Amino acid sequence: MSAYRLDAGGLVNRANPLTFTFDGKSYTGFDGDTLASALIANDQMLMGRSFKYHRPRGPVTSGSAEPNALMTIGSGARSEPNVRATVAELYNGLTAVSQNRWPSLAFDLGAVNGLLSPFLGAGFYYKTFMWPAMLWEKLYEPLIRRAAGLGKLTMEADPDRYEKAWAHCDLLVVGSGPAGLMAALSAARAGARVLIADESARFGGSLLSENVVIGGQAASDYAAGLVEELASFPNVTMMPRTTVFGWYDDMVFGAVERVQKHVETPSPDLPVECVWRIVAKRAILASGAEERPLVFGGNDRPGVMTANAARTYLNRYGVAAGSKVAVFTNGGSGYRTAGDLSARGVEVTAIIDARATSTDPAPYGVRVIHGGAVVATRGRNRIDALVAERAGFEEEIACDALAMAGGWSPIVHLMCQRGAKPVWSDAAQAFLAPDVGSGFVAAGSAGCADSIAACLRDGASKAAAFSTELGFAAYAANIPEVEGEYDPDFAPLWYVPGAKDKAFVDFQNDVHVSDLGLAQREGFRHIEHTKRYTTSGMATDQGKLGNVATIGIVAAMRGVSPAEIGTTTFRPFYTPVSMGALAGTSRAEHAAPVRTSPLYGWAKKNGATFVESGLWYRSSWFARDGEKTWRDSVDREVRNVRENAGLCDVSTLGKIEIFGTGAAEFLNRVYSNAFLKLPVGKARYGLMLREDGMVFDDGTTSRLSENHYVMTTTTTYATEVMAHLEFASQTFWPHLDVRFVSSSDQWAQMSLAGPKARIILARIVEDDISDAAMPFLGAKVVTLKGGLKARLFRISFSGELAYELAVPAGYGEAVADAIMQAGREDGICAYGVEALNVLRIEKGFVTHAELEGRTTPDDLGYGKMMAMTKPDFIGKRLSTRFGLTAADRLQLVGLKPVETDKEFMAGAHLLKDGAAATLAGDQGFVSSACYSPTLGHTIGLGLLKSGRERIGEKITVWDGLRGTEVAAEVCLPVFVDPQNTKQHL
Amino acid sequence: MALTLLHRHALEDHILGFETSANPNHLSVARRPVIFSVLAHAGQEQAVGLALKAAPDIAPRFCGPAEWLAVSLTAGSETVAGHLSEISGASVVDQSDGKVLMAISGPSVRQILAKCVGVDLHPQAFAPGHSANMLFGHVAVNLARTGPDAFEIITPRSFAGSVYEDLMEMGREFALTASFSGG
Repeated sequence: MSAYRLDAGGLVNRANPLTFTFDGKSYTGFDGDTLASALIANDQMLMGRSFKYHRPRGPVTSGSAEPNALMTIGSGARSEPNVRATVAELYNGLTAVSQNRWPSLAFDLGAVNGLLSPFLGAGFYYKTFMWPAMLWEKLYEPLIRRAAGLGKLTMEADPDRYEKAWAHCDLLVVGSGPAGLMAALSAARAGARVLIADESARFGGSLLSENVVIGGQAASDYAAGLVEELASFPNVTMMPRTTVFGWYDDMVFGAVERVQKHVETPSPDLPVECVWRIVAKRAILASGAEERPLVFGGNDRPGVMTANAARTYLNRYGVAAGSKVAVFTNGGSGYRTAGDLSARGVEVTAIIDARATSTDPAPYGVRVIHGGAVVATRGRNRIDALVAERAGFEEEIACDALAMAGGWSPIVHLMCQRGAKPVWSDAAQAFLAPDVGSGFVAAGSAGCADSIAACLRDGASKAAAFSTELGFAAYAANIPEVEGEYDPDFAPLWYVPGAKDKAFVDFQNDVHVSDLGLAQREGFRHIEHTKRYTTSGMATDQGKLGNVATIGIVAAMRGVSPAEIGTTTFRPFYTPVSMGALAGTSRAEHAAPVRTSPLYGWAKKNGATFVESGLWYRSSWFARDGEKTWRDSVDREVRNVRENAGLCDVSTLGKIEIFGTGAAEFLNRVYSNAFLKLPVGKARYGLMLREDGMVFDDGTTSRLSENHYVMTTTTTYATEVMAHLEFASQTFWPHLDVRFVSSSDQWAQMSLAGPKARIILARIVEDDISDAAMPFLGAKVVTLKGGLKARLFRISFSGELAYELAVPAGYGEAVADAIMQAGREDGICAYGVEALNVLRIEKGFVTHAELEGRTTPDDLGYGKMMAMTKPDFIGKRLSTRFGLTAADRLQLVGLKPVETDKEFMAGAHLLKDGAAATLAGDQGFVSSACYSPTLGHTIGLGLLKSGRERIGEKITVWDGLRGTEVAAEVCLPVFVDPQNTKQHL
Repeated sequence: MALTLLHRHALEDHILGFETSANPNHLSVARRPVIFSVLAHAGQEQAVGLALKAAPDIAPRFCGPAEWLAVSLTAGSETVAGHLSEISGASVVDQSDGKVLMAISGPSVRQILAKCVGVDLHPQAFAPGHSANMLFGHVAVNLARTGPDAFEIITPRSFAGSVYEDLMEMGREFALTASFSGG
């Protein structure tokens, strides 16, 4: 037996044993364990296989930077790959399996890659698998992907819920070690709203791992006292199991809370994870420091871990990493681990200190080899000895665990995510937090404080400064005495020369020292290039352990300071965040808001098929029994509107109420055509241009009273037009008295079209709607039989006698039902947007298929709607540009196939008759096309070069996508009732 | 032909048949609230704001500079229109059918709303009587605080179903119930 659980000690709850499995084998741990601490306690140090060489690996840390101990937790749809065993909380029934090995973790055939390693150096796949190129995608890449790898995703749908939420605070404290707890407490006592987050389930950070006495209490008891006091404040929000992963603009932080990752069966009423967006006035980064591994031959053998990890397993979890532990150190941390182990009765075989001398106290009876180094380790799936070297002499020392201490790196990730780079310090031999302004500072060992006492003081004073800044009375914190601290100072040691085996810099990506040398020799010298060429610092751990060593080694190879090499770019996320958490509830029917018309229910019971149009669900056609295709329904609806009448839901059109004495003048300036003299009770079709003279949107505006208008916009542009009006009013003409508000949702609006529209409508309207009382383009408020007030507009988008009736939305369905009832004897039908489209193409009315951002009014044949005599209107100036008035512009024309059984579709290109089917001779395109049931053949609208001069010409409609060429005749863009007699009935 | 027209609430299909007795956290959907848009003309912003505050039976909801919603759960549409017509310098338009008003209350109301809106609803930042337009998920709504643990959400009618479903989803953790209120 090597690693084992001590009989007593640690912060685990021994009264609550938990059963779990790893690779099918059952184990027991305790409440408070991580999966890694429980496995080590069961002497299962081998936890994974490395990415490339499939080397056996064990945990090298006890926290979130872990590169090796990645496993798949859970089963079926809930299986989650690449979970770090060092942070996964143990729970009863947890099932974990190892990854990247076959047939088993202890015997992995992929380990043959280690023998092939001379051919698998950095960038090998760029060089080896280049020819023939076609094989890359088909053969090489799948092969490499199978051999190298992390865990596998389940392909089943995630059964769990995720949420997203916002939080707000005066002070955000990231991390709950000595600095974080003291900062939070100090600000909380001052009265500030404090939010403190820690990735662990238990608050306390390093106070849970360090064997010191604070104010006469064990560090963990002292931490518990602070936590208890914090919890008593109503102004404090404590968020355990929460990783603050990103820092964004305006002091918004991203965090993920693991709400139910530590339970066997999650409650369906709670999310398993919640992404928080935390808005903080000030923030303190108290994320601590990461202990660096040392880079020496065989430094990846299971049982080799950081001194801090060995200490944490011992003090926090009551687990000895081995029964004969060796220590390799360049500073005080190694001695502290040796001391703690020794005090708990664990044998320490030797301390190998890279420094020639030191004053750090070794435990009694433990041999210290000063000026020594570890050059190799032995053992198959577990270290069983190391080879120490001093002054040219080598010695094999038996051990079953090796604690390595390579110095400390402040964890400054969050402060570097918005462009600022960490700053190298020769004194600290580390990259330190950059100055990112006064709102966000690092405290404690993240800010390079070198003792627990200093961390407590630093946290308190930085929080006090923020409290005062925010107007709270500063609270003078009482910092107790800390006994039994050690000196964490260290001497730099980037790597140990003379390695007998691979010396790994980045464990997760199997990058070793010689890969870095290769990258430098081959010219990938910039640290960003070195990273990408060697993959050092990539994948799930993003080089949390290895990056500093990579930089130090590259600096040493080049003979410069690490300051000159600099760091790679820091980006969110600090640790991986699941896609589920980022999506939150935005999945399935919650993926996007659904917009429904007040006539949705009416359409549904009339058999509508709906189409998504932006967020709207619009009725597309209304199938009847016996109709086999959508075309059958649409053709019938069109014919029925032309012969009898139809009712269509047009509620989705944008509606804007416009008020003010300046409204007439305002409209006159936003529309290209004249609006100043629109009489009360009349509607007018208007064209709105952009500043550059292109058509922006169209619609009708009606004058309901002297200073009250209602504008309709297209469905798609409702929001844009509202913004356009606001912009014009606020910035161009603030002196005009005009105000507007959207009333799009207030009205259920329906179009009743067809020769029998008036007869039907008269049955439900009290008012006289005869042609004399309600002429074409009339607009007025009417009373329905029974008393309901409604807005009635005589406008037509079909060329038929047509009305648009608007009623308060809640009555929409009832009024539509009443109209259907009233029109039954006259053959009324419901029609959808497909029929609406056919009806308007037959009449040559344009939509955004034609108003596509490149067309002027003149291009569309609406040149006379440019009221150039007006002093000004939006788009007037630039409309006169050369090019916008050129005769060879694309102009709107009608198109019909020469042979009437031929079809074409929108998007097809227009070519001269007989021209080769290439874009070289492109003359325009089909903007809209449909089958016209009225004419019995396909018709289209198109934009054709100098189109208006070419009426009668035979051209070719070429659809490259579908491979068709159809001969077509250019015609006027009106196919039905060119004299417009029907709408004036 | 005499017409008898039934008024339909936008959430009819969402709530009816699912009503249970109210839990501590409850969403109460007003059946026929009276809601008008009130726009102040240039130079009249302050006067209109004050007049709205003073108007009987009306709770003003701030939407933006010179724009409010005038809400009444007690008075009828004609009465409210009458009161509003007495405010000079303002234009008003009935939006009662274009908006859906939901009152949410209970001990967990802030936790539920924290999943829906990005605005700080701490009483120091958003006191009773405060209201503002804000995004609820992807939808622009007006949110008002009507009490220490009570808020009102006014959504566009076309989005009401989505907002309601999202709200109930976010309230699941706190056993949020819903029902119609008022005739």
